[in-house]
Amino acid sequence: MKKLTIAFLMLALVLSFTFAQGSSESSNKEVELKFVTWWTGTDTKGPYVEQIVKDFNEAHAGKIHVTLEGTNDADGIFTQIMTQLGAGNPPDIFSVKPQAEFYGYYDSNLLMDFAADLKGEWGGQFAEGIVASTTINGETKSLPYEMAYVPIWYNMDILNAVGITKAPETMDEFWAMCEKVTKAGYYATAQMTGGTNAWFSMLWYTSICGSIGGAGAFDNIKNDWATNPVYVQAAEILCKMVREYTTPDVIGATAPVANSHFKGGETAAYLNGPWWIANLDDARQATTEFAFFPTINYKDVLIGSVQSNLAAANTKDPAKRAAVIEFLKYFTTAQNAQLVSNAGSVLAVKYEPLANSSKLAKDLQARINEASGFIAYWENCIGTSDVVAEFGQALAAMIQGALTPQQFVAQIANVM
Amino acid sequence: MSRNLAERKFNRNWKGILLFLLPAFVLYGLFFIYPIFTVIFTSLTDWSNFRTMHFAGFKNYSNLFKNPTFLKAIRNNFIWAFVLAFVQVPIAMTMALVLARKPKGWKLFRTVYFLPTVISGSALAMMWKAVYNPTNGVLNAILGIFSANNGTNWLGDMNTALVAVIVQQVFYFGYFMVIIFASRLGIDDTMYEAAMIDGANVWQQEIHVTLPMLKPVLITAITLAMAYGFRHFESTYLLTGGGPNHVTETMGTFLYTKLSSAKWAEGNSIGTTIILLGGIMISVIRSVLSREK
Repeated sequence: MKKLTIAFLMLALVLSFTFAQGSSESSNKEVELKFVTWWTGTDTKGPYVEQIVKDFNEAHAGKIHVTLEGTNDADGIFTQIMTQLGAGNPPDIFSVKPQAEFYGYYDSNLLMDFAADLKGEWGGQFAEGIVASTTINGETKSLPYEMAYVPIWYNMDILNAVGITKAPETMDEFWAMCEKVTKAGYYATAQMTGGTNAWFSMLWYTSICGSIGGAGAFDNIKNDWATNPVYVQAAEILCKMVREYTTPDVIGATAPVANSHFKGGETAAYLNGPWWIANLDDARQATTEFAFFPTINYKDVLIGSVQSNLAAANTKDPAKRAAVIEFLKYFTTAQNAQLVSNAGSVLAVKYEPLANSSKLAKDLQARINEASGFIAYWENCIGTSDVVAEFGQALAAMIQGALTPQQFVAQIANVM
Repeated sequence: MSRNLAERKFNRNWKGILLFLLPAFVLYGLFFIYPIFTVIFTSLTDWSNFRTMHFAGFKNYSNLFKNPTFLKAIRNNFIWAFVLAFVQVPIAMTMALVLARKPKGWKLFRTVYFLPTVISGSALAMMWKAVYNPTNGVLNAILGIFSANNGTNWLGDMNTALVAVIVQQVFYFGYFMVIIFASRLGIDDTMYEAAMIDGANVWQQEIHVTLPMLKPVLITAITLAMAYGFRHFESTYLLTGGGPNHVTETMGTFLYTKLSSAKWAEGNSIGTTIILLGGIMISVIRSVLSREK
């Protein structure tokens, strides 16, 4: 018995020594992580993200090393990520656009679930309720990062030229503005039916729905799309706006076309996120103002949606998982969010606005603070990308009189 | 070689012959047979996203053929196939026959007509978007000279979009022209000399000498054009995305939309339909054209 006890103790000693050595090796081994993103190079966030990664690597020298990869072609990176996910081999960490195609991979085991990690202090770093927007069935397989609060942009040079001194607050004021602007030889709104999602017109539609149905207008959209009168009423308003008060190239127009109309000073009102501010020169920024969509039933509803997410490849290696979490916690600190906000971005993380922010950045922050609620993009709520694509198709038909607003809604319902 | 001799040779060398055929057979099986069977098999399931697939019979097909957008797409593919086969190929043939007479500058024209074939489709699409632009487009500017500019949005108007997309494609006949031209140059000049001695003019020479001699290559060109028409995707996707309201939709763009939505089974049922319809149509046309008088 004594011999057996000694043998057992020796075996235990050898095993513990072996495991201790192993764990020491694994803890000593530097974890290499690749972070694939379009926030590199000449992207407005590029220098700040590079700085954060550099600081992190210095602070974790010998333990974790993050390598930044990618180009500033957001669509190209999205395609790359989707291809890698399709092949079952996503990058360690990546930024991704929150499109239905990406959310489709929530069903797979390819993405790391942060739900448990966010229950602690880390979750508190994010603005209230925002993490819920990237949580599906209790799984948070991506983090909200860059937010897209989308106000209406008014070219006050055009409005002032027709005798309007403040942004319209009611629909009557809005239609009056459209009439005056059109008579003066401008176009009232920048719209489009082309691209994969008819981006600008889809944003206008979202704003109209928010103003008619409030922040919760899309809460049950997948079930009540074909029956809720809000969507038909919104379609009627959008149809009038596009048929009478926009550029003649609207059908089939893509985002660069609609952008150029606003940037070129041809259109009075435009909808886009804060990331586009840098495209306006200082003079235009000075005469641009942000506003809410005019009140129909609900006042001051702002489109607020996740613009880009952070996600990571699922891994069975605990050291790698811990390293990923460590990096993402660091990346989403208030201090680093403030740094990235230098690029004009609005983030899902809580932070104090910079004192030296531009006029428009402060203007936007004011709208965010005043907003009575946020409504997500229609395209993020309605379903898969074939349903989203149907929006532009049906809108083109409605503008040309081939569909009524009711039929517009019904045609989209047929694809759902 | 007589059949007996061939059989004897095969019996003597069958191992070597099979060994040489094996790589091609494996690659063909791996990259053609296997994907086709996978597409056909999965089209009979409810596969989408990462959900487990279940057998669904012909449900995808019955839904597909009830879908008005898909029916529009089939109609458009037939239009594409027939326009390319019976408008583009004849234009290519006419140009090839003219150039084969070697008029002044024929080498330059041959290069000019072929050049678009090697230019990126995306670049060409951007150019045509500029041509068709309702406000700044070249087409409306030219019509303006004749006071006929109504500000038509050629790619956006539901009445003009399909014609606009097809017309721009018809211009790119250079590929077929080169094939037919090469075949035309292969016709022995003595046949034309004999025809001339018999009193045939140029027109009669082309009708009675050139066309019969070019028949095999014309059948090939028509087959290729129809195949392209049935799987057409690129310029429609780039110019209109299948819009407005699906008037330019093709089976290819519709398939792309479904696959982009991770609706794999629906997408694969469209893919299978393209293969079947295209195969049947091309076989019928080939059999009609190949029929001897």
